[in-house]
Amino acid sequence: MSRPQRIVVVGNGIAGVTAADALRSAGHDGELTIVGDEQHPAYSRPALSKALLNDVDDTTSHQLPEASHEATELLGRRATGLEVDSRLVMLDDGERLPYDGLVIASGCRARRLGEQDSGEITLRTLDDAIRLRGRMAGRPSVVVVGGGPLGMEIASGCLAMGCEVTLVSQGAPLVPQLGSYVSDIFVQAAQAMGLNIVVTEQATVHRSGDGTRVVLSDGRHLDPELVVTAVGDLPNVEWLGASGLLRGGALVVDSRGRLRPEIVAAGDVATLSTPRGIRRIPLWTSAIDQGRAAAAALLDGDAATPLEQRQYFWTEQFGLSLKAAGHLPVDGEPTWLDGDRDAGTALLRWELGDGTASAAAINYRIPVPRLRRLCEVAA
Amino acid sequence: MKILLDRPRCEGHGLCEEAAPDLMHLDDEGELVLDRDEIDEAERAQAQAAIRVCPVAALRFA
Repeated sequence: MSRPQRIVVVGNGIAGVTAADALRSAGHDGELTIVGDEQHPAYSRPALSKALLNDVDDTTSHQLPEASHEATELLGRRATGLEVDSRLVMLDDGERLPYDGLVIASGCRARRLGEQDSGEITLRTLDDAIRLRGRMAGRPSVVVVGGGPLGMEIASGCLAMGCEVTLVSQGAPLVPQLGSYVSDIFVQAAQAMGLNIVVTEQATVHRSGDGTRVVLSDGRHLDPELVVTAVGDLPNVEWLGASGLLRGGALVVDSRGRLRPEIVAAGDVATLSTPRGIRRIPLWTSAIDQGRAAAAALLDGDAATPLEQRQYFWTEQFGLSLKAAGHLPVDGEPTWLDGDRDAGTALLRWELGDGTASAAAINYRIPVPRLRRLCEVAA
Repeated sequence: MKILLDRPRCEGHGLCEEAAPDLMHLDDEGELVLDRDEIDEAERAQAQAAIRVCPVAALRFA
């Protein structure tokens, strides 16, 4: 197989940038073009809801070192279509980019709960984060809808800013993502800091006069000064609608990130086959691993190393930091490996019964490689 | 070429150690230690991978 000469990367997030870097490292010295729909250079998305929300004096915590791929960067432009047979990417300004190799890393956007005019704020992009910081500065009363890690991080940031905060959650926060044991620890810390948690089966968001109203299942409604929703993300695949690449609306890649020999996908937009089903893995380290694997597959085909699926997740909220490796959520009581109950530090491990384990470190410094080793099977 | 560590930013994830085990490691306290003053050309890709994987951008080339 001859290597592609002209490569286009759609998406300037961490998956796209990593793929571009990896293409160069692997010797691609032909044309390389990156299309990004934001004006900003690539940044660290995890920081948007962590350091960038919590540290009002530091507005640089999302910045990444300058890219080294020396690609032609087309920023502030969006891919609107793909012609697979003629190998063309269409852009919103009418330009058509020919390619021999294509990396699809168009990412996700925030799912909204209400209509366009609902007034809800979401947090997905750097511009979203800047807008949210601006709104938080006036110390409004806040309702955060969504009890996942992102909703909890936003609630934590708003509380730290001095806002009165209510979190609306389907069931106890963090249970679907982390499991009930870890959820309990975080919910206790959140409530101790003054977070008001409202559990509801369903919530809807509507424009109400000048404001935004959150309506709960039992008919009660909340009318805060600021509503932030964090209810999941949607893959940006609409531009691929006529490409023939989607299966059931999803971009399902093979074990090396490929859709076709000359088209790969990586990051939040890609759907993977995992031991626990067909799913997307919208995590920082997975986006990086996927970007690398996809770049290798684009250049070397079957000779490339398949993606090694390893999970690493972290969050910071309510004065707690969590680092976790292995499958999440985890059920039941963990084994306590180390830590100090009085100081609130813990290193925990759950055996999953399938020969693997999950490990979590709470306010406990541990290098990722060590955390991962705890997930390997005990003989 | 050199790698610079912005220590206050480092959160001790250790993803860099995983990417570049020959160039850096976390010590027993979880503090990052750079093992080389100078990075040679052959190690550039490893160093680049370590810099790229850091979610808090605590590393960069000097």
